[in-house]
Amino acid sequence: MNVVRRVGLALLAPAIALVVAAIISAFVILAIGEDPLVALRELVNFGDNSASQMQAVAVILNRAIPLFLAGLAVSIGFRMGLFNIGVEGQYRLATIMAAWVGTAVVLPRPVQLLLIIVVAMAVGAIWAGIAGILKVTRGVSEVISTIMLNFIAIGLASYLLTGPFRGTPEGSLTVATEDLPESGRLPGLNGVMASLGLAEPRSELYGFLIPAIVVGVLVAILVKRTRFGFDLKASGLNPTAATASGVNARAMVVKAMLLSGALAGLIGLPDLVGDTYHYGTEFTSGLGFLGIAVALLGRNNPLGIAFGALLFGFLDRAALSLQFAGIPSQVVTIIQGTIVLAVVIANEVARRIAIRQAERTGANLPTARPAAGEQQATVVQ
Amino acid sequence: MTSSSEAVAPPAVELQGITKRFPGVVANSDINLVVRRGEVHAIVGENGAGKSTLMKTLYGMHRPDEGSVHVAGTEQHFKSPADAIAAGIGMVHQHFMLADNLTVLENIVLGSEPKSRGALDFGAARRKILEISAAYGLDLEPDTLVEDLGVGDRQRVEIAKVLYRGATTLILDEPTAVLVPQEVDELFGNLAELKGEGLTVIFISHKLDEVRKVADTITVIRRGTTVGTADPKTVTARQLAEMMVGTELPTPETRESTVTEDVVLGVEDLSVLLPTGRTVVDGVSFRVHRGEVVGIAGVEGNGQSELVEAIMGLQPLAGGRLTFGAEDMTSWTTRERRDGGVGFIPEDRHRQALLLDAALWENRILGNQTRPPARKGIFIDRGASRNSCKKIMKEYDVRAPGCDTLAVALSGGNQQKLIVGREMSGEPKLLIAAHPTRGVDVGAQAVIWELLKTARHDGLAIILISADLDELIGLSDTLYVMFRGKLVAQLDPGDVTPEQLGTHMTGAAA
Repeated sequence: MNVVRRVGLALLAPAIALVVAAIISAFVILAIGEDPLVALRELVNFGDNSASQMQAVAVILNRAIPLFLAGLAVSIGFRMGLFNIGVEGQYRLATIMAAWVGTAVVLPRPVQLLLIIVVAMAVGAIWAGIAGILKVTRGVSEVISTIMLNFIAIGLASYLLTGPFRGTPEGSLTVATEDLPESGRLPGLNGVMASLGLAEPRSELYGFLIPAIVVGVLVAILVKRTRFGFDLKASGLNPTAATASGVNARAMVVKAMLLSGALAGLIGLPDLVGDTYHYGTEFTSGLGFLGIAVALLGRNNPLGIAFGALLFGFLDRAALSLQFAGIPSQVVTIIQGTIVLAVVIANEVARRIAIRQAERTGANLPTARPAAGEQQATVVQ
Repeated sequence: MTSSSEAVAPPAVELQGITKRFPGVVANSDINLVVRRGEVHAIVGENGAGKSTLMKTLYGMHRPDEGSVHVAGTEQHFKSPADAIAAGIGMVHQHFMLADNLTVLENIVLGSEPKSRGALDFGAARRKILEISAAYGLDLEPDTLVEDLGVGDRQRVEIAKVLYRGATTLILDEPTAVLVPQEVDELFGNLAELKGEGLTVIFISHKLDEVRKVADTITVIRRGTTVGTADPKTVTARQLAEMMVGTELPTPETRESTVTEDVVLGVEDLSVLLPTGRTVVDGVSFRVHRGEVVGIAGVEGNGQSELVEAIMGLQPLAGGRLTFGAEDMTSWTTRERRDGGVGFIPEDRHRQALLLDAALWENRILGNQTRPPARKGIFIDRGASRNSCKKIMKEYDVRAPGCDTLAVALSGGNQQKLIVGREMSGEPKLLIAAHPTRGVDVGAQAVIWELLKTARHDGLAIILISADLDELIGLSDTLYVMFRGKLVAQLDPGDVTPEQLGTHMTGAAA
């Protein structure tokens, strides 16, 4: 099978899945008595002037950045067959700790930002690492332990928020940490867009887009090009063979969980350093769980995860305008769920077809020394 | 081929011009096979020659694209194994399909339970099973649990299962692969009984000596087609093998000794416990020298697997010491052992040696992550790995379209050659080869034997574990027998027969 055909087949499955998901979603919208075409129009209606179109792009990207990071975090675990459901708790705890550390000191901006990032990654890694350690020392399933650690993390974050880290005065309507000082804020990219001759959106495009892309590239290199990435993949594909090849399975579990958690720690930062500047009761939640869906959509491949995150961002953007058109915004969630299901099923079907084809050609590859010519013909198929 | 009975009765099975295509390839082409009633008919051929495809056709597991199947003179179009069973054809699979926690009786009736007015009628079933057992000398005890049975007994249960369903033609797929020589003799006794009662047996094998011993007619398949029949009374194993492969063959024999005085591996009083507390390796001590092949014989499950894994650092030791050259290796990790120069061909290649869903070049890297050519600093050198993969494919005759092929697409023999090539290209000082030619065809087997012999000549120390007694006797310089976790005998491979070795393996000589 040549490369073009393989890539084509790899893209064909998700493409079919998207069409199927769109059809199913259309029926759902019909079933609730609304017009699917109106919904479709709202989904793709980015406004009629360049400023509102750029605004739509910024909204999509701002939503996609944390989803991308969440997808990456989940995918590291998936690559070696670890199900880190605890990304949610890891990023919530990481964000509040980072928000607090960011207000506790004032340093030159690059240093301060770096400090915030390092703290967030460290907290996420430690929290996920607990599950890793429990797994290798006590045999606790990471699925169970990360779910339980989610509750603890969210509870702990609430306690810290209402207690020691509270920055808003008693009796105020919102409960949040103190705002980050100027040096802890990452400027948006609107200026850059203006200098490129693009219209400026009303809201700031998160500056965290750049670090997110860098992280994406680094993760892609790590999983595809390095020895660590190979060990990770081997452990996922065949743990016994990986062990026999010299991979330390227990160390690998801990490393994968630490890395997954460190990436999870980044999820809250685009909002924190680019928009809200504090962690509070209003802070975006649920990104960790959405990350599981995004990682599934992207088949654990950083580029695929980027597409998945953009798709989710694109759908989320329409939630508000759908409501204006009289269609409940939950339709978006239904579409997202349908897409994930359809893509997962399509990928699995595609994988089985590919393996069956491979086995079929394989079962008939000549094993004996071929006579000149006649056997070669079957090999070249 | 002409005999008087053929003129009287139609052949039990007759296949004419069978062709079976899979997308892009022809697995069987123009196969012609005549199996007379009441004979043991052996079908021999290399793995991948098309024996399995042919038997699947005969057993109704798929339908041929061309050609006809006649059973007892009537043309048949089997749509499923159920049709084949109804026509009196039964299959005894290589891997037993028995439920351990059921009795012999329950296993035999499973799926075709005798009923009398809606209720199970075990009485009738028992009578029928005892009848079958007595008629064919199967020696079955209907109420024994299958988990208490040995391999040979289990095989007889499988045969009874097929007979119970009224089969008059039995297909036995590699039936001796799992048996020790004594059990093989018993099986052949059973086959003679079946034949005596007028049943027909189709016997698939690549063990040529056995085929010559048991068969009345031999049909050879090569590259998907029947290349001829042979008379077992006159043909030699070598002639048969050459018919199968189409060229002349080497033998496993290595007589000139290359054993040196330098000890590469020292195993001292090694013990391994299972998590259940059972001792599986019990105080084993031996040494492997440069240029020496140490063979370890034993019926499977007597601790050989655990011994190998302990030497590779995959099993925690309950006691004992390992030395590698002058160094103490006992506490090394698996990776340190590999980096130190220990190569490993595991017994179960799918479980321990391959990433089936990954490309061949990635499988080339497995186990060599920390060494060139795979390693470049913290990175994997993809280019060098690919080149090395191509080199291995060429030098070790791995037949696959290219290095991007998934490992799952290769036949067992080609997978094994890739593994052997990979382990050898790391230039190990010690090679642990567990069943290096298991499930591998004659051609690949010869290649692997040749590689091992050359490597031994160049000073490699080899531990060889095998169920193929000829291979063990032929390749080993020193031969140990492992029984219930202990090395119970040291034999001279120069003057031991497979039968004597078999006796030691069953513990009878101890």
